[in-house]
Amino acid sequence: MITVSPQNIANSESKIDLANLSPEQKALDINNLNLFYGEKQALNDISMAIPKGQVTAFIGPSGCGKSTLLRCINRMNDLVDGCRIEGQINLHGQNIYEKHVDVAALRRKVGMVFQRPNPFPKSIYENVVYGLRIMGENNRRVLDEAVEKSLKAAALWNEVKDRLHESALGLSGGQQQRLVIARAIAIEPEVLLLDEPTSALDPISTLTIEELINDLKKQFTVVIVTHNMQQAARVSDQTAFMYMGDLIEYSDTNTLFTTPAKKKTEDYITGRYG
Amino acid sequence: MDNLNIGRHISGQFNEDLERVINHVMQMGGLVEKQLSDALTSVYESDEELAKRVHANDYQVNKLEVSIDDECTRIIAKRQPAAGDLRLIMAIVKTIADLERIGDEAEKIAEVTLQSLGKDHKDLLQNLDNLGRRVLETLQTTLDAFTRMDVNAAIKIHRTDAKIDREYEALMRQLMTYMMEEPRSIPQIMTVIWSARALERIGDRCQNICEYIIYFVKGKVVRHTSPEDIKKLKDSTE
Repeated sequence: MITVSPQNIANSESKIDLANLSPEQKALDINNLNLFYGEKQALNDISMAIPKGQVTAFIGPSGCGKSTLLRCINRMNDLVDGCRIEGQINLHGQNIYEKHVDVAALRRKVGMVFQRPNPFPKSIYENVVYGLRIMGENNRRVLDEAVEKSLKAAALWNEVKDRLHESALGLSGGQQQRLVIARAIAIEPEVLLLDEPTSALDPISTLTIEELINDLKKQFTVVIVTHNMQQAARVSDQTAFMYMGDLIEYSDTNTLFTTPAKKKTEDYITGRYG
Repeated sequence: MDNLNIGRHISGQFNEDLERVINHVMQMGGLVEKQLSDALTSVYESDEELAKRVHANDYQVNKLEVSIDDECTRIIAKRQPAAGDLRLIMAIVKTIADLERIGDEAEKIAEVTLQSLGKDHKDLLQNLDNLGRRVLETLQTTLDAFTRMDVNAAIKIHRTDAKIDREYEALMRQLMTYMMEEPRSIPQIMTVIWSARALERIGDRCQNICEYIIYFVKGKVVRHTSPEDIKKLKDSTE
């Protein structure tokens, strides 16, 4: 017989103290991050710690800096002309903005998936092993294993196992996005960045990806940017609300969506005029 | 509607949906208040017609509860309310359940009139009426606090329930003595006891509604919390 005491129910969702994470609990530690596009400051003194093995969502209106912040985590903003960054982002204690950091190596540790699915015009198989081949892996057995493991983790294996050598472009939008996620996790990154991963997908594909995100956090730290607040509420463990380059509120998702501490957060998540 | 702050959604339709449901809660509150007031008057004045009307009008309270419930379900399905909006909907769903039960209690009280024990026990009815008026006043101030979502008023009302309980206990002692002295009147006294019990329960339900007001405004669940801890909440808001 199963017995559930009220205490068990109350403790079933254990909270972590975001303000006092131990070094082992932190995947990313962002300290006083300022970002400028030319003269314009896009991020204002952002400091936050992102816990390991959890899903952290960034929400906020267009232009609030949430995608910019996400791109800082794997130094995608290095590619933008006139972009200047101050402050630190520590990945497992190592500042990724130090001069000697190998950006290609960093991006192997911090994978990214974009808004629109962007498979390469190659077979499903070749898409998944693309990163491994660049890293010099050509052993057929290793690659086969990686394909099966990644596609299974991305919940796509059953749908494509019989046509691995067909073009990836023949897959549906939802399948393509899961393929892109499989490609990102094939090289076993530590952190997975998702930039509005479902905004181009239908509701059913969206739910499949959301389910997938929940599974992925067992192996990776996931950071997701989303315009869909209900999605942030559904998939994330903690949520950061950003507004005009400032981090307004960062707390566990249950608290943020029921009793936010700041009025700006309340206005945004309830759809009110600011 | 000082603390309700419902008119600022970008979606005008959402504003309208919330305003409509709140108006229906007010309407239900007004109806329940009238039912209780009529029930008390019918008992005190032995007005059987009025008592029958209380009995007949209870379906209106029930109907409103069902339709407000339905409106709240639709709002949740269509709007996925969050934060204050979500707490408001939760507070409304719980409040109308308590209001509906208060309506049932009013109906029980009116039963005393229909059992026509009026004339012989005027002093007992006077004491029952005193308790009833206090409870009615508590209900009125509770509904007023709900309309304004006034957390300090809610905390104050929450504390007055102890007074109702004391008055109820005093009345019960008196009724016991009566029964011992006059065993023949036990059946009639029992009806008064049921009414007094119904009034005491209404006091508890007003206390529940005050807890929902505190939950909506403060985001804190104060059910099963000591009066001292609830009082602390008030001090911090003043």
